[in-house]
Amino acid sequence: MMVNINVNGREYKKDIEPRMLLVSFLRDELNLTGTHIGCDTSNCGACTVLMDGKSVKSCTVLAAQANNHEITTIESSDPKLDVIKQSFVEENGLQCGFCTPGMIMQTFYILENSEDADEEYIKKNLRGNLCRCTGYKSIIDSVKKAEEKVKGEINVSK
Amino acid sequence: MYLNRFVNGEGKYVDDIKFDNMLYMSIVRSPYAHAKIKKVKGGLNSSELKAYYAGMDHAMREPVLAIDEVSYVGQCVAAVFSENRYESEDLLNSVEVDYEPLDAVSSIDDALKKPAIHDGMKDNILDTEDVGNKFNEKDIDYDIKVSDTLFMDRISANPIETRGIIADYKDNVLHIYASSQSIHRLKGGIMKTLNLKDDEIVVHHVDTGGAFGLKALIFPEYIIAAYASMKYKKPVKWIETRSEHLQAAHAGRGIKADITLYARKDGKINGLDGTVYLDTGAYFTDDDLVDLGNAMHEVTGPYFIENAHLTGKYVLTNKALNGYYRGAGKPEASRIMERMIDLLADKLKMDIADIRIKNATEKPFKSPLGFDINYPTKPLLEAALKHFDYYNLSKKEKLGISLFILDEDTAPGESCRITVKDGKVKVYFGGDVSGQGHELFVQEMLSEEFNIDKDLISLDYDDTDTLKDGTGTWGSRSAITHGSVLMKTAEIIKNDVIKKFGKYDKDLLLDNEFNEYYYYKIDYNANSVNFNMVSCDVNDMNSIKIYTYYDLGKILNLKNVLGSIHGGGLQALGETLSETLRYDEDGQLITNNIADAGLLTADKIPQYNIKIVENNSEFPDKAKGIGESTMIGIPSALARSIELQTGKRVTKFPIDDLSLFNKCME
Repeated sequence: MMVNINVNGREYKKDIEPRMLLVSFLRDELNLTGTHIGCDTSNCGACTVLMDGKSVKSCTVLAAQANNHEITTIESSDPKLDVIKQSFVEENGLQCGFCTPGMIMQTFYILENSEDADEEYIKKNLRGNLCRCTGYKSIIDSVKKAEEKVKGEINVSK
Repeated sequence: MYLNRFVNGEGKYVDDIKFDNMLYMSIVRSPYAHAKIKKVKGGLNSSELKAYYAGMDHAMREPVLAIDEVSYVGQCVAAVFSENRYESEDLLNSVEVDYEPLDAVSSIDDALKKPAIHDGMKDNILDTEDVGNKFNEKDIDYDIKVSDTLFMDRISANPIETRGIIADYKDNVLHIYASSQSIHRLKGGIMKTLNLKDDEIVVHHVDTGGAFGLKALIFPEYIIAAYASMKYKKPVKWIETRSEHLQAAHAGRGIKADITLYARKDGKINGLDGTVYLDTGAYFTDDDLVDLGNAMHEVTGPYFIENAHLTGKYVLTNKALNGYYRGAGKPEASRIMERMIDLLADKLKMDIADIRIKNATEKPFKSPLGFDINYPTKPLLEAALKHFDYYNLSKKEKLGISLFILDEDTAPGESCRITVKDGKVKVYFGGDVSGQGHELFVQEMLSEEFNIDKDLISLDYDDTDTLKDGTGTWGSRSAITHGSVLMKTAEIIKNDVIKKFGKYDKDLLLDNEFNEYYYYKIDYNANSVNFNMVSCDVNDMNSIKIYTYYDLGKILNLKNVLGSIHGGGLQALGETLSETLRYDEDGQLITNNIADAGLLTADKIPQYNIKIVENNSEFPDKAKGIGESTMIGIPSALARSIELQTGKRVTKFPIDDLSLFNKCME
């Protein structure tokens, strides 16, 4: 079947099998290998991407469901995403890096959808993303730092 | 810098690599814990590839593809291949296998009662080993004897990146790309199994998405992929699914111990004996010897106990093979001792700190079980208790404590290559990093040593040609082994500059080309003394407080240290409270996804009170190890804090009591 999926602002028209998962579309068809597969059962969140701004686990979404929708991945050059990425670097919010793209996309979702995400809110909203290396502490610190920076920029621009 | 690579999604993990004409491999696996194979038709099966793997020779090695019989759920029976990942999974249905189910053994206890799972054996004891001095209780000075049985169930390593490999046979050389802690060990394992010569195989390291001991091992799937690439003359990729991981990846822990302590009424322990059992799984692997070896040799830990004897039994079960998991026998050994010493304190109505002070050693010594203690343990224990004001705090909080030795697997040393070209410094380690963030300390140490910007320094991917020799990352060794070989190699490079130009400065270094390799040999395992304390309120998951008093020698990079403590700390909580692999009595795995396996989420992180002391080690970089410390020190201390509140002594891990912490562990 033909699909037309907007990924990071660019339209991709592809002839795919109806059963193809969104994560396979991104990784195998578009070579966007930043989105990872960790569990196949939508538990680990390594494959988290945004679909029309909402966070989804791309290992349990069909590419066909993304037809005519907008997908944002870790490869996006959105300036807010850059702020989040930099915060993860500064706070050492990663070790092996495998869960990182999913963590960052979920953080992007959290910061886009909450005016004032406190630590409890952040933890609750990261429950669907597993990290085996960091024990989450530095990840939560990275999200908080990103939030401060994003808020700071909004205040400056006001 | 590696952090930038990862946050931008530019990591190069094995599944990110594609080659032209590459085949995807899928594995037909046994649905039974134990069955005769009456027929296999289709796929690559053992009628063609009949091979046994393991680094060592042993009569009970696992065939890479099942021969006539399957002995655990998930065992490899046949392999299928396609250029399309989805089609290769479709092809699984094209293989016909007829099974005749047999009785299965699903636990150590079961195995000790039931008939042998393999023909030709009289029972399920694969091997037996004795350590220590066998003593007669009449000959030792004791007033009280306490006995108990402890059990630490299996845990799956569950790195977020599963196992994976690409085998690419071209121009008569087999190229392997793998997620690995040691490409040299992997090379040796593949060479041995497929009978290859040294110059017929090159193993390349790629980004490794967590490993935790597991990825130091060799697996049947890797051999099958290598063979298939040589057969089809095409690259072959295998990426494990999480279900396959839970079923078939070699699992850690799985230790049971029957232990008796003999003590005087003042708390001094004068004897320890008993039996330690390892849930070996269905076949022998080399790692059995390390896991049960550590779990036995290190039991007396930081305490001066003059009489000790243990019998070790390697027990066959119809489960996936035993493997390393962060600590590999060391956490088990310490937990046996720490749980027993708490029991003794309770029987004698002594404080748990007092009884430890009574038994901690004031001098280095070699335990009867063969464990060399390099430092006195009593001074650190007393300093830690004082630092945390234990005696006052224990009146307010429900405290558990743990004193332990971290045995650092420093032998036989490590290799390193440093190259300088085009103004960039590149570092290669023979012991492969698996996501612990080694680049941070590499940059910190070299920028200081060479007096250059951190950004000019990177840790690069190695292969078995770049570095002809190398060891690995495991056993809390890197701070010592990798740090020290880095220092030594950097010194050689600096001397090269001085030899050539008569002096050293950074421009002379960066404007020229240098390339040096060094293997820093260490012929023994170092160790260090550490302490943990834990308190909690069993009605509140977020109340868990971890106190850490670790002697790390010189800190190479504080971010690395904190990352290890916070990451290992949460793994230790998981191991204590929820993580395991559950099997039913027929040997069917009933843990069916990564959440079910009990990994903890971001809302369950504990509080930390971290004190690091820096008593320099004897090595060039003055560091001591850290990687496994949390796994050793935290579980027994947390168990103590919990049992003080529930009144139920903890002897089984995970505690798995759903009523704890307001049922948040459900």
